[in-house]
Amino acid sequence: MLKGIAASEGIGIGNVMIIEEFSLKYTPKTVTDSQAELKRYKDAVEKFCEHTSKQADSLRKDVGKKQAEILEGHIQMIKDPYMGAEIEKLIQSGQCAEASLEQICNMFIDMFSAVDDDVTKQRAADVKDIKNAILGILLGVNEVKISDAPKNTVIVAKEVTPSMTAGINKENVVGIITETGSQTSHSAILARALEIPAVLSVENALSSLRANDAVIVDGSKGEIIISPSDEVIKEYSEKRKAFLKEKRELENYRGKATVSADGKEYELFCNIGNPKDAVKAMNADGEGVGLFRTEFLFMDRDSTPSEDEQFEAYKQAAIVLKGKELIIRTLDIGGDKEIPYLGLEKEENPFMGFRAIRYCLKNRDLFKSQIRAILRASAFGDVRIMFPLITAVEELREGKKLVEEAKAELRNENIDFDENIKVGVMTETAASGVIAHLLAKEADFFSIGTNDLTGYTMAADRGNSFVAYLYSPFQPSVLMMIKRIIECGANEGIPVGMCGEAAANPMMIPLLISFGLTEFSVSAPSVLKVRKNISKWTKSEADKIAEKVMSFATEQEIIEYLKTVI
Amino acid sequence: MVSKKLTIVNAQGFHMRPATTFAAAAGKYASSVTIKHNEKDIDAKSLMNIIAACIKCGNEIELVCDGPDENEALAETSALIESGFGE
Repeated sequence: MLKGIAASEGIGIGNVMIIEEFSLKYTPKTVTDSQAELKRYKDAVEKFCEHTSKQADSLRKDVGKKQAEILEGHIQMIKDPYMGAEIEKLIQSGQCAEASLEQICNMFIDMFSAVDDDVTKQRAADVKDIKNAILGILLGVNEVKISDAPKNTVIVAKEVTPSMTAGINKENVVGIITETGSQTSHSAILARALEIPAVLSVENALSSLRANDAVIVDGSKGEIIISPSDEVIKEYSEKRKAFLKEKRELENYRGKATVSADGKEYELFCNIGNPKDAVKAMNADGEGVGLFRTEFLFMDRDSTPSEDEQFEAYKQAAIVLKGKELIIRTLDIGGDKEIPYLGLEKEENPFMGFRAIRYCLKNRDLFKSQIRAILRASAFGDVRIMFPLITAVEELREGKKLVEEAKAELRNENIDFDENIKVGVMTETAASGVIAHLLAKEADFFSIGTNDLTGYTMAADRGNSFVAYLYSPFQPSVLMMIKRIIECGANEGIPVGMCGEAAANPMMIPLLISFGLTEFSVSAPSVLKVRKNISKWTKSEADKIAEKVMSFATEQEIIEYLKTVI
Repeated sequence: MVSKKLTIVNAQGFHMRPATTFAAAAGKYASSVTIKHNEKDIDAKSLMNIIAACIKCGNEIELVCDGPDENEALAETSALIESGFGE
């Protein structure tokens, strides 16, 4: 089995077609008739544009407008007044067309590759694609005929360039395998748009696979099976059918509200770790963000990020969300997340030590700069603040006092923010569960973090194989905590969400509906599945199940019972 | 010379498609169109220069147009940015 990056989900079963790379080698030479050389270059560019524009047209028909625009961008790039003028200058100085084109293109490839930004890095691949295509025309090398691929073809190439992808007939091509590329490369984006399973960055794909080899491409797992047995083919055909069926069903839930079978509406949000994830959350049909983890801003660097830098990131996410709810959790460091420059000492027991809100309240400058950044971002959307690891009411009070201080400062500085910004508690400790009735009087919302709540309630580390059996959100103690937190929130009329992994668990969903949860926050790929699962339940059915579940004494009985009814 | 300060509102910033649209729009005018970003001047008629500038969502920029049709140029190019390139 070969492994790579799962870039476009689904399963493809077919035969290998190897896409060879043509040699684009040439000998640079000086040209005496530079006018004739210039004409040769311009003719090649003209031919390239004509061909690319045709490809863009067919892509627009088969795939979509946005994808076609990538190719149209290639035309714009080569026609760029600055780039074109530089190439022509070199030709007029006596250099041959090939070398002039290569020199200027390489300059841009280097420039784009050096930028610390994935999107800009991708442009380097575009310039390379253009360079190779025009070199091919200048050198008279024939191009690859992907459009001739027979039925059930799995394309194997070093790299699938945008211009190659444009020739793909989605009726015949069932899978794509490449030696290079990433989740965000054009090949991946186009493969997803064409709904062709793709595994990218597979080492030695070209030397391990031969033309016409039977092969299975598992684009969901990033795996390739060479020469599978009949049994394996059968197994994967079934998986493929099930995948396509579920995908069709789930698509019915896109763009719809999240509603239970008896018509109660729920909020279905996403958990994100950086502003780019906010785009993914929106594309996945998330209705907001229930947990924006801010640690990414603080990790993998040598010093604390400035208020402005944080503000830019929070603002970016708020703008992407276009007024939808965005819950930003303040810094949750310590425990397992090490950040050297913060000078945290090694502790005997880091999960019970100096972390999250405890650290922030002792490092007020750092905490206030984050709160100010979040407040400033609140001028750009429905932004909310959430404090992690609360165990006592004083912590919430102190945090809220800092929020008020930061507000007063911003008011004095005439900086816009949301005066009524909501401040909530991430209920993820046993203590916060027990005093939920007290916290609910002073918090604007709760969000249950089931991962830590389970660990702290059971006093069990899920990473420790000796005690991991205790770590389950279906333990009666954890379910009691969850139920209590939701009920205490409801008593004070504040919304209660869940942003832990359990929120997406089909067996947990009826219990949460019965307890009265109002918001589910899950990973982007789970959104449609959770919406579908919520739609299955009425309150009275869910209540029956919850009542039964809460009558059991052990986790085993609870799980066994839930398996019979889900 | 006319100018306007703007914030980039589309999620992906000046990625390929908006940059292409923008350079094409700027290229129609006789006036020069310059984007001021991070204290750099970027010739907005050059797609390649816009891409190299790596302008992202939330960034603040200033558009400067100079020439015979500067008002029309500024109106069209700033409208593109404000509309978020229709995303």
